[in-house]
Amino acid sequence: MTLENNLESINYENLLPGDTISKRSYMIDQQIVNDYLSATQDNNSKKLTTTIPSMIIAALGLRGIVNDLKIPGGTLHVGQEINFTRSVLIGETLKCEAHLLSNTIRKGWRFMSVSIEVINQNNDLVMEGKSSIMLPA
Amino acid sequence: MDEGDILTSIEKTITSSNIRQYAEVSGDFNPIHVDENFGKQSQFGKNIAHGMMVAATISEIMLVNFGEIWQSSGKMKLRFKSPVYPNDTIKASGCVKKITISDKTKNIHCVINISSNNEIVISSDTFIAIPS
Repeated sequence: MTLENNLESINYENLLPGDTISKRSYMIDQQIVNDYLSATQDNNSKKLTTTIPSMIIAALGLRGIVNDLKIPGGTLHVGQEINFTRSVLIGETLKCEAHLLSNTIRKGWRFMSVSIEVINQNNDLVMEGKSSIMLPA
Repeated sequence: MDEGDILTSIEKTITSSNIRQYAEVSGDFNPIHVDENFGKQSQFGKNIAHGMMVAATISEIMLVNFGEIWQSSGKMKLRFKSPVYPNDTIKASGCVKKITISDKTKNIHCVINISSNNEIVISSDTFIAIPS
C-alpha cells in the first residue's frame, strides 16, 4: 500500500508493516542550510565549508512521515535512530523513503515505528533511521 | 579522546521564533508546536519545541568534538523524555563511555544528555567510527 495518492483520509488501523508511508525528493540549496542553521542556532555547523549539517537530512526524512502520514496534532515523537553513512553537499538531490515497521495500540495510544532511508542522486545511501511515534488513538 | 573524557558542552535558549523557523524547514507544522491555542489546550499547557530541533544540538556536539567525520559515520539513538518549551534554556553535555578498536577503526560510544530546568529532556547514545 502506498499513501502518496491517498491523502484525504488515513485510517491508521489499516496500515500494515511494509507499507510505504512516503516517497519524496529534495534539492539541498544554500537557503535550506541557512534556514536550518538559524532555526537550530547551530553556530558550529556554519564552519562547514562543503558539506551540509547532517541533521538536515534527518529533518527532511521526517518531513515525509509527518505530512504523508497526516500526523494529527498531539502526536508525540518518542524515539529516533539515525545512521549517517555519507556526507551531503549543497546542490545534491536527496530521495527519502519511509516504510511502516509496526503499528500497535496500547493504553489509548497508537504506537507506530517507521523506517527511513535517504539516498542521493547517485543512489548512494546517505542516511537510514527509525522513528517511533505515539498518536492519540 | 579516552573513556570517561568529558565532551565540550553547548547551551542555548529556544525561542518561539526558532520553533517557527524549524517548522518551515522541516515542514512539521503540528499545532502542538506552532498553534498557541492548541498548545494551551494540550496536556503541556503551551507549545513545545520539535524534538529533532532540540536533538540537533547532540549532532552539533559530536561535530565539535570529533570533526566532519561525524557527518559520514555517525550514529545516534535518541529518547525524547520531556518537552522543551519556548524560552527554555537547554544544555547538551556528555562523555565518552566506551572505546573499542576493531580492524583499522576506533569505535567511540558517547552518552549525551540534553537538560532543561534540571531535567533530562533527551537522552542519547552516539557512536562514531574513526579510522585509526
